Amino acid sequence: MSSTRSASEIDDEAADWAVRVDARGLDVERDPELLAWLDGDARRAGALLRAQAAISFLDRGRALAGAAPSVEAVAGRPNRRALIAGAGGIAAALIGGVGLWAARPQRLDTRLGEIRRVPLADGSLVAINTKTALDVAMRPRSRRIVLREGEAWFQVAKDPERPFIVAAGTVRVRAVGTAFSVRRGDEAAAGVDVMVTEGVVEAWIEGDPAPRRQLSAGSRIVLASAVSPTVAESPSEIERSLAWRNGEIALDGENLEQAARLFNRYNNRQIVIEDPVLARERFVGLFQTNEPESFAAAVAATLGAVVNDDAGSIRISRGRTS
Amino acid sequence: MKQSRAEIVAFVGGQILPHEADVRAWLRRSGSAAADIDDVVQETYCRLAALDSVAHIASGRAYFFRTARNIAIEKIRRARIIRIDCVTEIDALNVVDDEPSPERVVAGRRELGRIRRLIEELPERCRRIFTLRRIHGLSQRETALRLGVTENVVEMQSARGLRLILRALSETDAQDHPAGGKAHELHPVRKRD
Repeated sequence: MSSTRSASEIDDEAADWAVRVDARGLDVERDPELLAWLDGDARRAGALLRAQAAISFLDRGRALAGAAPSVEAVAGRPNRRALIAGAGGIAAALIGGVGLWAARPQRLDTRLGEIRRVPLADGSLVAINTKTALDVAMRPRSRRIVLREGEAWFQVAKDPERPFIVAAGTVRVRAVGTAFSVRRGDEAAAGVDVMVTEGVVEAWIEGDPAPRRQLSAGSRIVLASAVSPTVAESPSEIERSLAWRNGEIALDGENLEQAARLFNRYNNRQIVIEDPVLARERFVGLFQTNEPESFAAAVAATLGAVVNDDAGSIRISRGRTS
Repeated sequence: MKQSRAEIVAFVGGQILPHEADVRAWLRRSGSAAADIDDVVQETYCRLAALDSVAHIASGRAYFFRTARNIAIEKIRRARIIRIDCVTEIDALNVVDDEPSPERVVAGRRELGRIRRLIEELPERCRRIFTLRRIHGLSQRETALRLGVTENVVEMQSARGLRLILRALSETDAQDHPAGGKAHELHPVRKRD
């Protein structure tokens, strides 16, 4: 019978091996040293699998990329080599087609279901959600983005000399060095949804005499009129709303009707919840934006619903009442 | 058909490991001693490691509970003295298997929050390296370059961080599970008003 202590020693050794396999691409089935270690104790194979699984589990945290501090901030003061690497990245962005001081604004857009991440000439990054169009104008004294439709998240490179302003209708959001998202509602009256993931932004409505609103990380506002209240959201809640940056929809208690609307933003094949009672059922899960079928299958399996689909729609109705 | 190691690791990372804390909590409630729980969990991973393919496993969570239960029962049978309450507890907990748990459904936000916490609780240096490697997806080389350290340091710190995280994963943390004792409520797939 094994003691706890030796089990944890095995876990520690397994962690070392898992990191080596991950970093150096060792072949678990062939590396002679690793095989010798595995042969030494029957429990080691399980411990190694668990350690490797933990790495794979943590990689899911990449969905949190936006909430994490930027690479530069994590790295602390960059050394010379890192600076050179960083300069290379900006050069690559330039070659990527976003010209410096482009005279005409550059149009960036996405089709239904498409999600793009585009580096901008100033070192900022924009993640563009489904069915979105925006114009980018980089000028010596300002950086201006006009969100024509849809939703985008901006990680803004610090440059106090050049304010970064996003315009969505009459709404303006201004940042110096921060990260935030802006979404225009589908209907004109729906307002503009601003979520801040890092730093502080200033938001206002053009032509409105009300003072500008300061929004800090973790806050969210839907600007439809001057009186719209700021909503404090937990960072994880904002992260969840921005899961689309990784092509994901994270549901946490939304009802099926709301969930269907989320999926329908990305797909031609529309989800229809046919039963009003079913539409109010709440659901939790992580899905790919482009896999409404998986969502329907999960709903069917969990709630005993029935799925009927054809080329244009996925209809979910209640199963036989029991 | 035989699956690649990477496929099996991804499955275990996505469908098995996230439920380990629940399985441990459940075993603890059934009266198992801490050392026995470690053994049962360990053995479950060993059985998974022996598989050529995990394609037949429809629900990782249900598989984990079922396998752990079978191993626990085998252990009880092997033990000389059978504690009656052990057997009845385990039989009573049989229902866990039936919990709906479709393949793709995981408690998304809870899981992400947990990953974030695991990484945040690491010592500073470890955490920086882990964030660059796992959250930003930099290679070991790129991470070393960014931080101005050798790859060896990155590897050592990564191993240190992973050791700490493996330990944290086996300690069913109270933060995650304020209710403590209700495994079937920990990863709700369905919420009611």
